[in-house]
Amino acid sequence: MQRNYLFGSEGRWSRLTPIYLLIPGVLLYLVIALGPSMATAAYSFTDASGLRGADVNWVGFDNYNEFLFEGLASRDNLAATVRTLQFSVLVTFIQFTLGLILALLLNQKLKGRTFFRTLFFIPVILGVVIQGLMWKLFLLPRGGPMASIFGLFGAESEFLGGLPSEAFMWVVIVQIWANVGVTMVIFLAGMQTISDDLYEAARIDGAGGWQLFKSITWPQLTPAINTNFLLNIVGSLQAWQLFLVLVGYKNGTQVLGYLVFAEGFGQGESPAFRQGFAAAASIVLFFLVLVIGFAANKYVSWREERYVG
Amino acid sequence: MSTSLDTRFKKIVGSESASTRSRWLKIASYVVLGIFSIFYIWPLFMLVNTSLRPFTEYLQDPGGLASSPSLANFGDAWELANFPQYMLNSALYTFTATAIFIASSLFVAFPIARGYFKGSKALLTLYVVALFLPPALIPQFQLILNLGLYNTRPGFILLFLINPIGMIILVNYMKSIPKELDESAAVDGASYTRYVFKVIFPLIRPAVATVTVLHAIGIWNELILPTIYLTDPALYPITRGLIVFEGVYGNNWPGIAAAVLMLMIPILVLFMFLQRYIIGGLTAGAVKG
Repeated sequence: MQRNYLFGSEGRWSRLTPIYLLIPGVLLYLVIALGPSMATAAYSFTDASGLRGADVNWVGFDNYNEFLFEGLASRDNLAATVRTLQFSVLVTFIQFTLGLILALLLNQKLKGRTFFRTLFFIPVILGVVIQGLMWKLFLLPRGGPMASIFGLFGAESEFLGGLPSEAFMWVVIVQIWANVGVTMVIFLAGMQTISDDLYEAARIDGAGGWQLFKSITWPQLTPAINTNFLLNIVGSLQAWQLFLVLVGYKNGTQVLGYLVFAEGFGQGESPAFRQGFAAAASIVLFFLVLVIGFAANKYVSWREERYVG
Repeated sequence: MSTSLDTRFKKIVGSESASTRSRWLKIASYVVLGIFSIFYIWPLFMLVNTSLRPFTEYLQDPGGLASSPSLANFGDAWELANFPQYMLNSALYTFTATAIFIASSLFVAFPIARGYFKGSKALLTLYVVALFLPPALIPQFQLILNLGLYNTRPGFILLFLINPIGMIILVNYMKSIPKELDESAAVDGASYTRYVFKVIFPLIRPAVATVTVLHAIGIWNELILPTIYLTDPALYPITRGLIVFEGVYGNNWPGIAAAVLMLMIPILVLFMFLQRYIIGGLTAGAVKG
């Protein structure tokens, strides 16, 4: 009934107009994003290179074989896979905790809380180039600002230029520094939705600060907790650009996302564009994200059932 | 949210001990926040400080304070790094791609939000699915390469014409506009195109602002795609230009710091004005049950 005014025989608008007009947007999406995204799987079974018009041959599971089983290189690839997981666990855990602490502190009525919120959020919008270069300057080994703090304690460090394990830790720190603002604002937004009545009721029952947090804030914060947990896990598994700006493609620091870029676009040790191999590596990463994301999602719905019902 | 944590504590623990407790809580909060702030203010301060020092002075004592601050590095970096050109490129890419993306998305999001065609739900699902698929990097490169658009402005802009999350935000916001409006517009004789542009667009301005800002900042900050697709320095956006500059002028940190600040200032200005929309976009849908 309603729609007759709009479309159909008595309608004022042609039923086809909306469809014609949505075609450009949808077509762009299919051709630039969705199509290529799905075609990654197909490319992972080929020897595609970065040369225009070069033959692309089907090579079966060769790329996967090479990635997983062949010689020393495969050992490095597996190390990169493990490192990706380490990076994700460290970043997720620390960023989640710090974000929660900052949100709890800044949810109080404090003078200057807007200033603090803005300050901690600013790196999020600056992008990896600024984030990275700012910290590269801060972490200059001899005479740099962080080096002088270390000097106060009689310590010395090469920071990003030092041992791979140390450079890796600094990237973890900068990654968290750069993104904890997002975690914080999501928690803060969640805290705004908690009704004061709940705290009032708990007060009458004589609950203390920790009990309030445990029995009201934490369960009521479930949607924000879930969002942050999933965003942090999936985001950190795929994050690698700070490695590029801060340390480059350095042995002992590679993570999977960077490996895909380096192999696929000649940015690693070899200048060859090994795009078939890179596609295989990105499918490996995709499965990692899928499995861990799925497990995290299961855990999150289990929590939700427990707390919210 | 009107009552904050500390006033809650006050109510909870009765007035006497509450004020002492809440004062200690406040002091502790400031201490923790202060320690955190150091790691946000100090790197920024050192960046500004370094950018104001002559190179020779910097070399003698990299961590020292600027003894006679000067803006000379900004001028040098501006010229040496070919900054005007890069800035212009960045602005061109950001503006064009964002405008096309928003215009084309309006006409995708609106009929999806209304269910005005068969399969609108399925189409929305396609946009959600993209968030979980593997990155499109490699096949996308093959596509652009074989279309002959590698290392060209149109080819580069093409990569930024889509944004699944932005689309989802637009659809969700449009759902809040009553359908009756469509009917009265049609009865009054407004064409579909005119209606979407002149009526729907102004009504969803907050959502458009959020999506525009997030999309634009993403393009402005992008480093990987210009590294992959642009080899001609005349086409570089500022991010790529800056990384190349850093590679060439390796230890000239006063120059690099000045260049970083010049890249940063437009974003900070934008942020000051549009903070609400940026944060609104990032938390949209994140805290509902």
